[in-house]
Amino acid sequence: MKWKSVLSLIRIDIRSGRLIRGQKLRAYQESRMLQYVMYGGTCLLGIAVGLVVGTVYSGVPDPQDQIALLLGVKTLFIAAPTLVLTYSLIFTMMRQIQRAGIKASILPPYWLPFTWAEHTLAAIVANLIGIQLAALIFVASAIAVVSIFLGEMLFALLTIATVLATAFLASATTEIFRVIQVRLTGAFYKSSGTKAIWLRFVGSILLIVVFYAIYFFFTSGANFPAIIETLASGQQTVWFIPYLWLGMTLFSIVTGQISEAVAFSIGSIAFLLALFTVAVKLNSQFGLYEPAAIRISVGGYAPRSSMWRKLGFSAPEAAIMRKDFKAFTRRRELMYFFALPIILTMIYLSITTSTPYFQGLSAFSALILLAPGALMATSMSSMIIGQEGAPVWHLYSSPIKAESLVKCKYAFVVIVSSAVTLACSTVGILVVRPSMRTILAAIIEAIFLIIALSAVSLIMGIKGASFVEIPRPRMIRPVDNLINFVICFLLAIVILSPLIPYLGPMIGLTSPMPPFYPYLALLISGIITAIVSYGAFSIAVKNAKAFLVKAEM
Amino acid sequence: MVKGSESAVTLVDVAKRYADIIAVDHVNLDVKIGEIFGLLGPNGSGKSTLLKIILALVQPDAGSVTVLGINTTKNPVAVKAQTGYVPEVPRLYEFLTGLEYLDFTADLYGISTTEKHERITEYLEALELEGREGDMISAYSLGMKQKIALISAFVHRPKLLLLDEPLSGLDPRSARIIKDLLRELAAKGITTIMSTHILEIAQAMCDRIAIMHEGKLLAIGNMKELRAKAQLPGSNLEEIFLTLTGTSDIKDVVEALMK
Repeated sequence: MKWKSVLSLIRIDIRSGRLIRGQKLRAYQESRMLQYVMYGGTCLLGIAVGLVVGTVYSGVPDPQDQIALLLGVKTLFIAAPTLVLTYSLIFTMMRQIQRAGIKASILPPYWLPFTWAEHTLAAIVANLIGIQLAALIFVASAIAVVSIFLGEMLFALLTIATVLATAFLASATTEIFRVIQVRLTGAFYKSSGTKAIWLRFVGSILLIVVFYAIYFFFTSGANFPAIIETLASGQQTVWFIPYLWLGMTLFSIVTGQISEAVAFSIGSIAFLLALFTVAVKLNSQFGLYEPAAIRISVGGYAPRSSMWRKLGFSAPEAAIMRKDFKAFTRRRELMYFFALPIILTMIYLSITTSTPYFQGLSAFSALILLAPGALMATSMSSMIIGQEGAPVWHLYSSPIKAESLVKCKYAFVVIVSSAVTLACSTVGILVVRPSMRTILAAIIEAIFLIIALSAVSLIMGIKGASFVEIPRPRMIRPVDNLINFVICFLLAIVILSPLIPYLGPMIGLTSPMPPFYPYLALLISGIITAIVSYGAFSIAVKNAKAFLVKAEM
Repeated sequence: MVKGSESAVTLVDVAKRYADIIAVDHVNLDVKIGEIFGLLGPNGSGKSTLLKIILALVQPDAGSVTVLGINTTKNPVAVKAQTGYVPEVPRLYEFLTGLEYLDFTADLYGISTTEKHERITEYLEALELEGREGDMISAYSLGMKQKIALISAFVHRPKLLLLDEPLSGLDPRSARIIKDLLRELAAKGITTIMSTHILEIAQAMCDRIAIMHEGKLLAIGNMKELRAKAQLPGSNLEEIFLTLTGTSDIKDVVEALMK
């Protein structure tokens, strides 16, 4: 193994990763200082935390309390490897998911003289660079400083070593998972035809939702001490899982079982080497494999009249809507638009079910019906033009009128967002069971929000459209995106403002509203929506006219 | 409409500038109906911009453009409806299959279901894409993507074809089919303006050729007229091109590279 090659490959991976996340592809320059600010900052933070804990420990007058604190810190040390394993698995896998949706995927530079072992090692290490490495530096520096106060320097050094080894273990597992996933996906695509499209769509959304659920569970901060306690004690009962052997090594040292500590450490090293060997073997076999194409149709061409045509759209409008529907269900980077409302609904339901205070509030119940669709309409509409990417030349060169373009894009967002709102509403209604009046008012307001926010976002979506596809589809310029979200947020408040009295106890209102008020409030919201939407649609058409004669290609 | 003396495309004193770069420098051009017109020039000479101006994709800073009797600034949609366009690098919607893509483009031009079925099937068969039409475009080779882009330019039977490097990536059989098809279409009065770097193709196919350099039209005419302009009797298009564009220092460059 040539270590210089490994280092070079890590550097390539890090740099391309930054390019993917960054704004600039051309004239990109590395800022060495900025690169290390995050690591230096987390190191200082770790030292500060270590100093605080150490000072608290030294200042405890009662020896019994000191022993209890020492035990608590040791429990944290024992749990650290398993905790790092969980976090590293989540972060490395999320990073791979993020990269999978990017056009400029990182292929091994196979034409250069390096071995698969070197490439695999570099890929595993590079996958840990970034937030994971910063977190590791924080943990390691905190442990090192605390250990000076506790007089447990040797144990602390062992803990740091196991934490680093665990992170490597997690990243190696992600690498194996990645290669297998690519290969299996290819085999599945080859054999499944149209089914593959839908299974991929559902599978991708599920994967995103599950990972975000796990991520929120671990990062919400709720019950963190309980998680530590569970990890520290739980790993003893499932000691036979090789991923936990590093933690078991520490546990055996603390309990004075030296022979077991040696056995677990040898087992851990063997497992780590085995994982690495498997990763190398898989990479050498499938590292350059590219998934086969999905064959959607076989046989002759039978054009059909689309659903959109039946809804009264012209042939070009229906063609664009049909194409957009396929884009949103086939392109991974666009599937996020569907995952977003599901994640929102999940977060909302978890808050509602765990916090009794919110359960009785009709205004809070209404949020589940309002938020997902409104957010989806805002984000989808602002990116519906930019998502065209480089093939936008079709819109430029085809005889489509600005009015038709705006009409079909707007209608698409409104219809899809409304459908998603209704789906999320059904789940929300079944779980939260708000009153019928709340349901009706919230659904009508949700539709108002979708109609108005889609129209306003389309203005920015056309004006700020970005067709840059490499390193990743940008769809809208970041500044325009930010401005749009601020405008839409304020507009949503204006549209919902007639319903503010229904926040009741949350804003100190206790007197009941007159019976006619809900109808009046909905009417006012409706009028605001109509005025805003009409105005925004006209501006969007004006923007589209300018857009169609200024080809950016 | 058949080949004649009527103008298909008329450019009068057309200019376009991007910041400090003059892309098109006061160009005057008249392309007749049914002509196959070649646009040659080194990289960055303004050929692609000129094609975009003709199709009303880019508004000129000065001058006027008339396509099939329509002013492109006043009615760009009408011009686009009668034109088939293939850009230099045709980026297609890769998440669609070849068939879905052609169906999409046919619908953009409002072709009836029966017509599009007939035409798409014919073209797919002619360009040997049968059997792969149901695959996602992301899996297509460059040549296959080029064939799809060409079919989408032909499918609505346009009166004007604007083709930027149309034969790029095509296999010899498909290239021959496209060349013959363009000639047949020209005979029926369909005008083609094509930009190409393959001088042999331009010489063999085009009725007239324009040579562009730094946004200017250096020469325009048939082979005989170009030879006269370059004062190179009996020469081929490559020699004329290198002489007119001032890029004939090939020998010196090669010698420098070999050092």
